[in-house]
Amino acid sequence: MFHWLEERPFFFAVGVFVVIAFAGLIEILPNFAQASRPIEGLKPYSVLEIAGKEVYKKDNCIACHSQLIRPFKSETDRYGMYSLSGEYAYDRPFLWGSKRTGPDLHRVGNYRTTDWHENHMWEPTSVVPNSIMPAYKHMFSNIADIETAYAEALTVKNVFNVPYDQDINGDGNVDVALGSWEDARAQALKEAEAIAADMKNQDVKDAVARGEIPEIVAIIAYMNRLK
Amino acid sequence: MQNNAALEYDYTIAKMFVFSTILFGIVGMVIGTLIAAQLAFPELNYLLGEYGTFSRLRPLHTNGVIFGFTLSGIWATWYYVGQRVLKVSMAESPFLMAIGKLHFWLYMLVMVLAVVTLLMGITASKEYAQLEWPLDLLVVVVWVLWGLSIFGLIGIRREKTLYISMWYYIATFLGIAMLYLFNNMAIPTQLVTGYGSWLHSVSMYAGTNDALVQWWYGHNAVAFGFTVPIIAMIYYFLPKESGQAVYSYKLSLLSFWGLMFVYLWAGGHHLIYSTVPDWMQSMGSVFSVVLILPSWGSAINMLLTMKGEWNQLTENPLIKFMVLASTFYMLSTLEGPIQSIKSVNAIAHFTDWIPGHVHDGVLGWVVFMIMAAIFHMAPRLFNKELYSKSLVEKQFWLQTTGIVLYFSSMWIAGITQGMMWRAVDEYGNLAYSFIDTVTVLHPYYTIRAVGGLLYLIGFFMFAYNIYKTFASGKEVDGSTLQNKTPMSA
Amino acid sequence: MNDIYEYQGYAYFFFTVFLTLILYGYIIHLYRSEKKGIRDYEKYGKMALDDEITDKPIEEKSEQKKSVDDTDEKPKEQ
Ligand code: HEC
Repeated sequence: MFHWLEERPFFFAVGVFVVIAFAGLIEILPNFAQASRPIEGLKPYSVLEIAGKEVYKKDNCIACHSQLIRPFKSETDRYGMYSLSGEYAYDRPFLWGSKRTGPDLHRVGNYRTTDWHENHMWEPTSVVPNSIMPAYKHMFSNIADIETAYAEALTVKNVFNVPYDQDINGDGNVDVALGSWEDARAQALKEAEAIAADMKNQDVKDAVARGEIPEIVAIIAYMNRLK
Repeated sequence: MQNNAALEYDYTIAKMFVFSTILFGIVGMVIGTLIAAQLAFPELNYLLGEYGTFSRLRPLHTNGVIFGFTLSGIWATWYYVGQRVLKVSMAESPFLMAIGKLHFWLYMLVMVLAVVTLLMGITASKEYAQLEWPLDLLVVVVWVLWGLSIFGLIGIRREKTLYISMWYYIATFLGIAMLYLFNNMAIPTQLVTGYGSWLHSVSMYAGTNDALVQWWYGHNAVAFGFTVPIIAMIYYFLPKESGQAVYSYKLSLLSFWGLMFVYLWAGGHHLIYSTVPDWMQSMGSVFSVVLILPSWGSAINMLLTMKGEWNQLTENPLIKFMVLASTFYMLSTLEGPIQSIKSVNAIAHFTDWIPGHVHDGVLGWVVFMIMAAIFHMAPRLFNKELYSKSLVEKQFWLQTTGIVLYFSSMWIAGITQGMMWRAVDEYGNLAYSFIDTVTVLHPYYTIRAVGGLLYLIGFFMFAYNIYKTFASGKEVDGSTLQNKTPMSA
Repeated sequence: MNDIYEYQGYAYFFFTVFLTLILYGYIIHLYRSEKKGIRDYEKYGKMALDDEITDKPIEEKSEQKKSVDDTDEKPKEQ
């Protein structure tokens, strides 16, 4: 009876496939609907923040940083409230990470500021002696890709109904506006100006004044948002 | 053995993949050693400007050794073992020959594009699935070509029953196909909106779901990339090299099906203490523990195959490589489940114990087995005696030392760091700032980098040995070789 | 919504039991049929050893496609 399979490659393959696919079905599918529900009042990322998240991906901070605070006292003492599933509802992709060579960043926006990041990203050891984090000086001159960030926001708005241009908390105002590409660019620039005002690097300030947004501004916007 | 000197196995494609195995092995391991050194000596981050930081290079290392080195190794052995256990030559089918060549060249194209895009920072940012969507599509084509090759060769086989190795190759093909497709589902943003870069895409899944799918993939890609196909190799090469038929064919049947079912359950253990439901986490742990049984079935089967033949272990360095590989396989399949026990995981997760675990598996098991396979194949591919036996011996000891340095330092580093993160003083306040837990690791990071360097040197010795075999080895007739691989002293 | 978790639990449980039974049934079946002399499994282990293209297959795939020994002409390449 069983030897039959080893002589019939087609049915053998079907058998293997059924067995390995089964676990995936049971493990993943049933939780899909529930796990994708956002927590109350969760706001989608602004275009500038998405651009910052793209810088985070591009320079692959995930290689050393997690964004997942586990429900242990030692972790909540260090990083703040433990992470909830619904907080990640607009994270595509998820950026939990798997290795903490550096500290968790899920709520870094609560305790680090724009000027701290500016110094730290330029030269980590100037802020934290003995840090082994690389300096990311190139972010001060590379220009962030705002248009692609807009494309991403528009995609998730249209395809996954992420609530851009909507009143989320019920105060009668739109919470995160997206609008047209021109609107979105103007909005991103406005947010960038606010951040650049807190920075001291003159090249960055000049770039923003010219209407270009350096990567460092975008990634700081993103990290300030992590709360 | 009568009138047909005419038909022989055709190893054209196998040779091509042997070449790419060595090439990507060197690239991947050089980068690996560099990034290990960067953690000990951060100044090394600035050798290549923006492109040389630890974070940019790490995906290059992982992709290079997984999709470059290991996949090439799997395919090199497939295009060799496949013909032999099915008793059919690629030369009998010009169609399969063409598919094989296309398979190789398209794969090389994908790898070149992968290196370029990853260096530029174009990434989907999911671990071991970084490539952006256009590359993903090419990967699918490469995979389909391999499928055609497998099932095409099976279609024209002479041997009715599929040998054990064949089951594992088929499972590799199916498993990776399923995992890769589902995990890489993404929507290209430029196609949807008309704005921005055409390379960019956004994942089909969000947050916790994305994590579930990713670790379902991440864990099982290890299963189907680092375990299943390497078992395929050892079931062929160990019996062949030692001249001993596999100890128990029945046991191999059982371990195969046991492994197929149980392995996929264990993916949940990557999510322990995150936001997925409790029961799933517990099931993940329990099944990871159950996993030990069938996976040891294969390793024990291999060791028993050597029963009464242990003298070969001292006489034949290839046997040494393979026996040590099965031993490391047992070690890391024991270690993995231990790490997935909840209380252990609470300490081990996010620490260096995890890369330590990965590397005793890959350095000890995957790379050793692939190198042994290539040592065995080289004389048969090139009709030359293996260039130097003593070089093989030296390489073995050098690399074994490297592995031991690697995993022992990472075990200590991981547990130290895990304990320090949670240590509190007499008032219940955290005892250490984060940077304290980083500086304490410096000696271990240094030892790890040294271990990696030794291993890398060993790999260069391997590459040199194969090159010399090809270029200046003593002529032999590959098709008449007996079990034991011939080597010059 | 909660229903689906229940189904998940049941599906998981029964499938596990089912597969365990199959696996153990398999063991029994393998050893039985070898004891009764219906099939000798261990001979297949030889496939890795006698793997020259001129070696005789353990079992021929079909009558039409004979092993190389029996065919008189085969295309030569290289
Ligand atoms: C080689 C590993 C490594 C990489 C890559 C890395 N970091 Fe770090 N990071 C560290 C370490 C170690 C620390 C702790 C020491 C320090 O503050 O510099 C740290 C600290 C930080 C902190 C301070 C957090 C806190 O709570 O004090 C921030 C913010 C940060 N990193 C952001 C980033 C960003 C953004 C990137 C990607 C561009 C990045 N890191 C890449 C290792 C890394």
